Amino acid sequence: MRKNLFRLMFLLSVLGFVITLGACHKKKVAVAPPPPPPAPAAPASPIISLTAEPATIEKGQSVTLSWASQNATEVSIEPEVGKVQATGSTTVTPAGSTTYVATATGPGGTQSASARVTVTMPPPEAAPPPAQPKVTEEELFSTKIQDAYFDYDKSDIRPDAQQALTADAEILKGNPSIVFTIEGHCDERGSEEYNLGLGDRRATAAKNFLVNLGVTANRIFTISYGKDRPFCTEHTEECWQQNRRAHLVFGRPSGR
Amino acid sequence: MTHRQLRLLLALTFVALAAYLLAPYPGRGQDWFSTGINLGAPKIRLAVSDFQAQSTDAELVRLTNEFNSVLRNDLDQSGIFDLVSKSMFPLKLPVEPADVDFQAWSSSPAEAQMLVFGKTEIINSNLVITGRLFDVKNPSSASVLGKRYVATMNDISTRDAAHRLANEIIQTLGGGVPGIALTRIAFVSNRTHHDEIWIMDYDGFNQRPITSYGSLSLTPRWSPDNTKLAFTSYVLGNPDIFLFSLETNHRVPFPTYKGLNTTPAWAPDGKRIAFCSSMSGDPEIYVSDVDGRNLHRLTFSPGVDISPVWNPKTGNEIAFVSDRSGTPQIYIMSEDGTNLRRLITGGGDASSPSWSPNGLFMAFSWRVSDTGTYDIYVVEIATGRIVQLTHDAGRNEHASWSPDGRHLVFESNRSGSKQVWTMLADGANPQQLTRDGQNWNPTWSN
Repeated sequence: MRKNLFRLMFLLSVLGFVITLGACHKKKVAVAPPPPPPAPAAPASPIISLTAEPATIEKGQSVTLSWASQNATEVSIEPEVGKVQATGSTTVTPAGSTTYVATATGPGGTQSASARVTVTMPPPEAAPPPAQPKVTEEELFSTKIQDAYFDYDKSDIRPDAQQALTADAEILKGNPSIVFTIEGHCDERGSEEYNLGLGDRRATAAKNFLVNLGVTANRIFTISYGKDRPFCTEHTEECWQQNRRAHLVFGRPSGR
Repeated sequence: MTHRQLRLLLALTFVALAAYLLAPYPGRGQDWFSTGINLGAPKIRLAVSDFQAQSTDAELVRLTNEFNSVLRNDLDQSGIFDLVSKSMFPLKLPVEPADVDFQAWSSSPAEAQMLVFGKTEIINSNLVITGRLFDVKNPSSASVLGKRYVATMNDISTRDAAHRLANEIIQTLGGGVPGIALTRIAFVSNRTHHDEIWIMDYDGFNQRPITSYGSLSLTPRWSPDNTKLAFTSYVLGNPDIFLFSLETNHRVPFPTYKGLNTTPAWAPDGKRIAFCSSMSGDPEIYVSDVDGRNLHRLTFSPGVDISPVWNPKTGNEIAFVSDRSGTPQIYIMSEDGTNLRRLITGGGDASSPSWSPNGLFMAFSWRVSDTGTYDIYVVEIATGRIVQLTHDAGRNEHASWSPDGRHLVFESNRSGSKQVWTMLADGANPQQLTRDGQNWNPTWSN
């Protein structure tokens, strides 16, 4: 009788899942443009000039690039700047010494001109730029976000973990650009393989809790480390509790 | 019948009953089990006479010593011989068949049934080994085996020749079951401060890394033809299943799925892989072809379903670990997910199933109570009879059968750190194979 009931429950719990495999993106093959028609008469060659002022800067300062061209249909400056008007100027802030090359292309061909900017390291006494008073998202995350702890062999979100994750959800909703990872961890008592599964369930449970509170799912990565990355290595309940957790980490999982 | 007679009768009945109950279990192990795993037959008394170098060349003498120790160790570890102690050998060790003193070897104190002897020499700069197996109880037709091996003058080649001769002897005298002297063991080691996949010879020699990803790599499993390993790697930022060819030393493509993907297991035909994935949100058992096609899900139970293993004999059943009853327990289902049944009903925490090559037994680790520790057990699947193989020696987990079904490799912390050990499949003769860093999750090649 009870056996039949279990069997029925088991059958009822069987759900079909459709696994959709993403189709591979086919790389588009670049088609070479047809060759330009031959010029009817020899058109004038393009002319281009480029200057950088000043030619030497300290790291962090800007340089004005100025250029002028004639007989050109297209002018571009590399690196960083890209396509520009026939004549003009712009400011750039190269991080290191850079040779800028302006290329003019016209019916009469292609000409280029270059200008070298040397970037020096600022003298040490002038080095520290005024400290940013603004707290970065990473700092905010590491100081404010709390982990969720679990009972032995369980992945239920217990009341203290609900509190922690509810506070986390408020901070995370207020900083919607933060992407983060929930690591699932276990204590050393179970088998290594089983704990990989248990850690996965803990991370998923914490993720689902945050999603239910309005944190968008696509900002959250989960990863189970089972019992392979413990926070504490003593063989005591105090230490085991430290290791039974969903640990929230700023950014994506790294593979290291 | 008087009162006294009745008491006497009762006492005699008790003695007879006790004798009956105790008689089938002399010493260790249970007979039904030893027979089932091929360790039940009486051990053959074997003398392994040192092979004699035929010149005083220093390198020949060194390699001959190595050959002798590898051969003796292989035969000693096989589990089917009772080796004659060297102190009981006759004074003159034979080189050629004519040298064998049958009387001396077969009588006390040696009392050998079988004798292995031979010689080593350098011919055309190669090490040439001649080995013979003699039935010393049968002088009229003593020769059972004669073999000649040509090896390169180095350790690897010399060890290989010793393993080959040992396999021949074991197969000849051990009921035709091939020896395991040339098998290997894959395991996880953190000796480089990262968890990497390593392999070694079955006797612990020749330990070498397969991965150097600087990440976390776990759960290695041999393909049935031993040319590939499947394992779990975190190197791409997610636990993914990697297939790795030991022939090309490169990865073989296998799909990555979101979530946890771990504990791959090769079907005995080598064409399919069962594994655990949480791609649906919860760790479940899936099966696909080795190229990832024909993926389907076999379990539909909230909770952890992990660590699948195929019945290596039939290929039509899968055992796995599930906590659907509350704690991790071992279940068996058909390869399509039907006919689910629980294997161990004793409670506690039962994990890491390993199916014996003959399909009859399951080795597993079991912690019977919350306060206890894990030990290795074997259950006879048809009857549910259970034998405990490790006792009172630290925490013992993750057993894996040798292809001859006579040995198990497992992890134990009995030496003070987690290391890889082997033992006979009746629990006898534990041998520590690793010592550098921590080493665990061993799996025997096929």
